[in-house]
Amino acid sequence: MTDEIITDQPAQTGLDVIQDTMDGFLAAADVRAVYGEPIQHDDTMIIPTAEILSALGFGVGSGSGNGTGTDENPDKPWQGAGGGGGGGGRVLSRPVAIVVASPEGVRVEPVIDITKIALAGLTALGFMVGMMFRMSSRRHSLPSIED
Amino acid sequence: MPTIKTEIITGETRQVGNYQITPLSQVLKIITPGKHASFIWNRPKAVVVRTLDGQEQVLPVTDVTRIAIWLMLAGGVLGAMLVRLIFWNR
Repeated sequence: MTDEIITDQPAQTGLDVIQDTMDGFLAAADVRAVYGEPIQHDDTMIIPTAEILSALGFGVGSGSGNGTGTDENPDKPWQGAGGGGGGGGRVLSRPVAIVVASPEGVRVEPVIDITKIALAGLTALGFMVGMMFRMSSRRHSLPSIED
Repeated sequence: MPTIKTEIITGETRQVGNYQITPLSQVLKIITPGKHASFIWNRPKAVVVRTLDGQEQVLPVTDVTRIAIWLMLAGGVLGAMLVRLIFWNR
């Protein structure tokens, strides 16, 4: 048994990485990303659907400079150049509904995320309670006109 | 100025029994000048169902979770404003 190291493959440059990332990012805008592969069960077919949010950003920069004089040799000219780049992105996916197609008909069944709804409800409740406490404490802390 | 574009994309039609199902999705694209940053929001819009006798029906795909979340948050903001009004008038 031998181990081989493949050396004839070209190294992937930074531009290739950006191009691949952009291709993958633009694939999120395709209808096939939203409607999943159909699942067949007897006469019924189920198509899952999802919402996709994706964001991507990147930046590159370069610069160069030249001049004369260093600490060791004050008359020696010098020049330099450099560049760099970076980026980031995120793709979020969330199930929305399922399409159920059977010989009886086609219907769309929503997918309800109870956890997210409960979190939103708690946030709203916290907002109201916070406002109540704030107004209540303001009433008690303000001096009356007679004082 | 960033480029903002919305479009409705039609997917591949599938045959299930006596029905032809065509999915539709709505895409919102925001691309900054120079294409250094982009945002894509892709969501299912509706399903077009055609029967063999030519009848066509559009079934909208409703995102119940998103509607419920926005209703909750709107209720929270309105409730907080109501609390403020009640305490203000006391």
